[in-house]
Formats: sequence, structure tokens, C-alpha cells
Amino acid sequence: MLLDGKRVLVTGVLTEASIAYTTARIAQEQGAEVVLTGFGRGLKITERVAGKLPTVPDVLELDVQSPEHLERLTGDLDSRWGHLDGVVHAIGFAPQSALGGNFLTTSWEDVATALHVSTYSFAALGRACAPLLEKAGGGSMVGLDFDASVAWPVYDWMGVAKAALESCSRYLARDLGDQGTRVNLVAAGPLKTMAAKSIEGFDSFDDWGRRAPLGWDLTDTEPVARVVCSLLSDWMPAITGEIIHVDGGAHAIGGELR
Amino acid sequence: MAVYDKVKTLLVEKFGVEEDEISPTATFEDLDLDSLDLVEFALAAEEELGVRISDEEAEQLDTLEDTVKLLEQKGATA
Repeated sequence: MLLDGKRVLVTGVLTEASIAYTTARIAQEQGAEVVLTGFGRGLKITERVAGKLPTVPDVLELDVQSPEHLERLTGDLDSRWGHLDGVVHAIGFAPQSALGGNFLTTSWEDVATALHVSTYSFAALGRACAPLLEKAGGGSMVGLDFDASVAWPVYDWMGVAKAALESCSRYLARDLGDQGTRVNLVAAGPLKTMAAKSIEGFDSFDDWGRRAPLGWDLTDTEPVARVVCSLLSDWMPAITGEIIHVDGGAHAIGGELR
Repeated sequence: MAVYDKVKTLLVEKFGVEEDEISPTATFEDLDLDSLDLVEFALAAEEELGVRISDEEAEQLDTLEDTVKLLEQKGATA
């Protein structure tokens, strides 16, 4: 199996439609032991949804804005496993004012929240997990991205946060390279998850499949989850600081094909 | 209306809704429940009533009357 005996932390499972849920399921099917994290009001939901996975994983409380939570996470994983083979960062948030066409009027406070939760948290999680990843011989960190090389309708400050995440990932790859840790992002095509449903005007992405040579199913998280699991495995060595587009190929195409 | 009563109990006990705010024509919005609450409600209803509401269906839930109807169609008995 792809992830036989691997110990993997998966953040961001909220509903069965979450990319992280499918990632956790496939990781378990491929032999990994998984622990989830949940946050705030969503924690109770994550705990319930965890019960639907093939093996019911523990759910740890993690607010990535809280240094205490991150410290507790390190301690918990250390006493539980002693090392860590993989980390999946599937965390993002922007206040409503930062999305859906308010780009020019968003306050710094709201932008700061978006950057703290969606960008800085990748580095913070990296710092918290680095010693445990090192003990596993390096391990792999994977974050979820939405192509930030261009401006999109309605995505606004979340797009800026994702552009910063892409840079953050490269710096994290730089600093964790010496200990053998790979750090990569998966730039997913649009998927109708809770995160997407919270964005007013998300339906402007509904015709993604017209630009994608391979087509695109907005409700199927499996292709993205499979690539995340591949990056967690030993079969993607010598890749770090990379962004893999799992979007049906739309990123490579300049106009509508169908 | 046994399913209705069960839904009512669920809303009062797990979601902190005031009992006198609940009526068949009340919507989840009237009860100040947002999309995250709806997802949680669907999971709780599955545990309590043994029927499964998908995320898509949860998103469409409007009045309690309609919700009970959907649950009953799916075979919920309280």
C-alpha cells in the first residue's frame, strides 16, 4: 500500500465533501494511521464526520491562530507517535468582507485575519511539526492551494492569501530542506466544499470544465485527494517547493475549449 | 407529528434554540441557524432518526415543516 505504516496529521475535515475528508479516507485505505484536527464550532462536526471514516480517527482541537494549541498539538503527537510522516494543511478562512467583490473596501483587520488563518498557519504548522517530521526522516507537508498566478472573479483577498501561501510554501521548503522534509502545494480546481459554498458568487467557476482538457467535476474531491496522498508517499521524492495543479489541466489553457 | 417533536427537542437541546421560537413554518434562518449549523443538524438527525441527509439536501432545508417532510419521506419514525 502507498502509505503503509505512515502516520499522518490531516487538518481541515469538516464535511464528507471536504477535500481533507477524502484525503483522510484514501490515506487510511492506503495503510496510514490518521489523526484529524478540528476548530471552534466546526470541532463537533469534525468529530461526527470522523465517525464515517473506515477507521475512526482521534480529533484534536486546533485553532491555528493559537500558539498554545500548536504547542499542545506537538506534545500530543509526540507522546502518541514520537514522529510524524505527513501533514495535510487544508485550512483557509477569510471574513465575508474580504470576498465576493469587496476587494477595494476590505479593512486591514479582515485581510490580516485571512492571511493569518490561510497563509501564516502553514508556516506555523510547519514549525510545530518540524521536529516530529525530522524524527521520521523528513516526511512530507502538503497544503491546498487555488491557482494564485492570476486574479479571479469574487476570490479577492483569499486569492492574495493563496499567492502568499505559494510563496510561504517555497520558503518553508527552503528551511525544512536540510532535515529532508518535502513541502508542496496542490492547486485544486474549484470544488463545491463548505469553503466554496461560503464564497458568494462561487458559481462563476461552474464552467471550469470548458477550459480543462480533461474536463472537471466540481463535486469529485477524489482526484485532488489522490495527489495529496501521492505527495505524502515515498513515490514523490526530490520534489519540494512545488505546486501541482490538479484542475483537469485548465491552468495550461488560455481559452474555452468546448 | 412525532418526528416534528424529535426535531424540536434536537433544536432546543443541541442548538440552543428557544422552544417558543419553534413552529412548523419557522425557517432555519428564523432560528438563527447558519450553514454550519445545518450541516451539524443533518449529522445529528442521522444519529437520532437513522436517516441520512446529504450536504446538498441540508443546504436546501428551509422550514421545519419541509424538514420533517423530508425526514419522513426518508423513513424516519420517532
